[in-house]
Amino acid sequence: MTEQDIIDKTNKVFEESFEIEKERLVPQAHIFTDLGLDSLDIVDLIVALQSSFEVKIRNEEKVRDIRTLQDLYQFISSIKAEKE
Amino acid sequence: MSLKRVVITGIGMVSPFGNGVPALMKGLEEGRSAVRFMEGWDEYNGLHSLVGAPVDMQGEMSIPRQKRRSMGRMSIFAAQAADEALADAGITLANEDLWRVGCVVGSTMGSAKSINDVFETMLPDKDLSKLNSTMFFQCMSHTATVNVAQYLGLNGTVMAASAACASALHAIGIGYDLIRLGRQDVLLCGGAEELHPTVTGSFDILFATSTKFNDNPQKTPRPFDRDRDGLVCGEGSGILVLEEYERAISRNATIYAEVTGFSTTASGVHVSQSNKESMITCIRQALGESGVKPEDVDYINAHATATLQGDQEEAEAIRDIFGASVPVSCLKGNIGHTLGAAGAIELAATLKMMETGVIYPTHNLENVSQDCEGIQHVMQPIKKQVNTVLKNGFAFGGINAALVCKKL
Repeated sequence: MTEQDIIDKTNKVFEESFEIEKERLVPQAHIFTDLGLDSLDIVDLIVALQSSFEVKIRNEEKVRDIRTLQDLYQFISSIKAEKE
Repeated sequence: MSLKRVVITGIGMVSPFGNGVPALMKGLEEGRSAVRFMEGWDEYNGLHSLVGAPVDMQGEMSIPRQKRRSMGRMSIFAAQAADEALADAGITLANEDLWRVGCVVGSTMGSAKSINDVFETMLPDKDLSKLNSTMFFQCMSHTATVNVAQYLGLNGTVMAASAACASALHAIGIGYDLIRLGRQDVLLCGGAEELHPTVTGSFDILFATSTKFNDNPQKTPRPFDRDRDGLVCGEGSGILVLEEYERAISRNATIYAEVTGFSTTASGVHVSQSNKESMITCIRQALGESGVKPEDVDYINAHATATLQGDQEEAEAIRDIFGASVPVSCLKGNIGHTLGAAGAIELAATLKMMETGVIYPTHNLENVSQDCEGIQHVMQPIKKQVNTVLKNGFAFGGINAALVCKKL
């Protein structure tokens, strides 16, 4: 899976699950303050990402450090790399 | 302590005829049925009734996502009905003391589809990790009332009434008491429910559903009719704005009617079967609280679900109190049984009949069943000055509810 695949799949989750327009999904976008997700949305984000990437991330400590979309892309990338 | 007076100043609904009160009234005026064959229901083994009165959901995307995410189908209906009711009442929440505004919305249970989805997701692998964060909020028993309160940002009393098919009348009765006691000034009261094969199934396994009209859905349900064979489930929500009388007068609100009496009784006899003695007591208590004699009632909107036993018991109860002096009809032939929403949708329609002076007939009532005779069945529209109405609602669990409203 390429970096672009990860970005595309992640962005698709934001578009479909959180109804956020594609134009707003820039790497520096802050997930809470820019994209408007809250604590409940984070639960759903994890569920959607787990399904989309076929990974288990709920108990990953590093999840707590994610702030921006770029953080999230890198996190997914590292999880996928570990898995492979 | 003197009790305050309570009036109804706004109504709103989503019914199988569509969003809004006008859609329902148009359907009634045109004598239509919203019942149809339910595609896909024949995949359920053991489900014999394949008809329902569904809502064609619309406009839900205008509810902000973070409000909508905790809403199952029934809560979306309730929020939309609440919007219409508030607009109809001429109430702008931004101008209100929201600590004095609340809601009481009932339903049989949480969102049926959501409950089903949770178990379908979780049980095959006994895996909770695929459940999203808001499913519980869609499944909980007070989901409709909570979602209305969250959607509107209410700070006052938020309660749920769960009494199956009497839920909405219970909710209105609770609201009536809360305002009478001075605890709240304005309450959005009513009920909500959604159609799902598991809901129809709960009646179907008890032989309470209509099963002979799967090929001719518009001919069922048939309340009080010789050929009735059971109920047909519908869905939707009805919300009424209950308001303290002096407040409504001081702001020149349009008042549909005053709620003058409410009663709820239990039969204590049987968990599923209706019982006319406890119905009679319930109706008499509601009339008594209103100071209304049976001959003063101008119209009775019956519960009449078209079950064999329920219709007979209700007809006998009405006959015992009113004889054949008062017109009786019900809406379930048009829109099916909207269960927890029925009391509110049907009361709202009754208030419109009161407003226009036209009583609509019981749809599909063609030949009055012998066991339902002796009351004045409405079989054609009647033009009549309607000042005092009785609304009945009965439920599994031996629960009865009756509400009396008077035009001011």
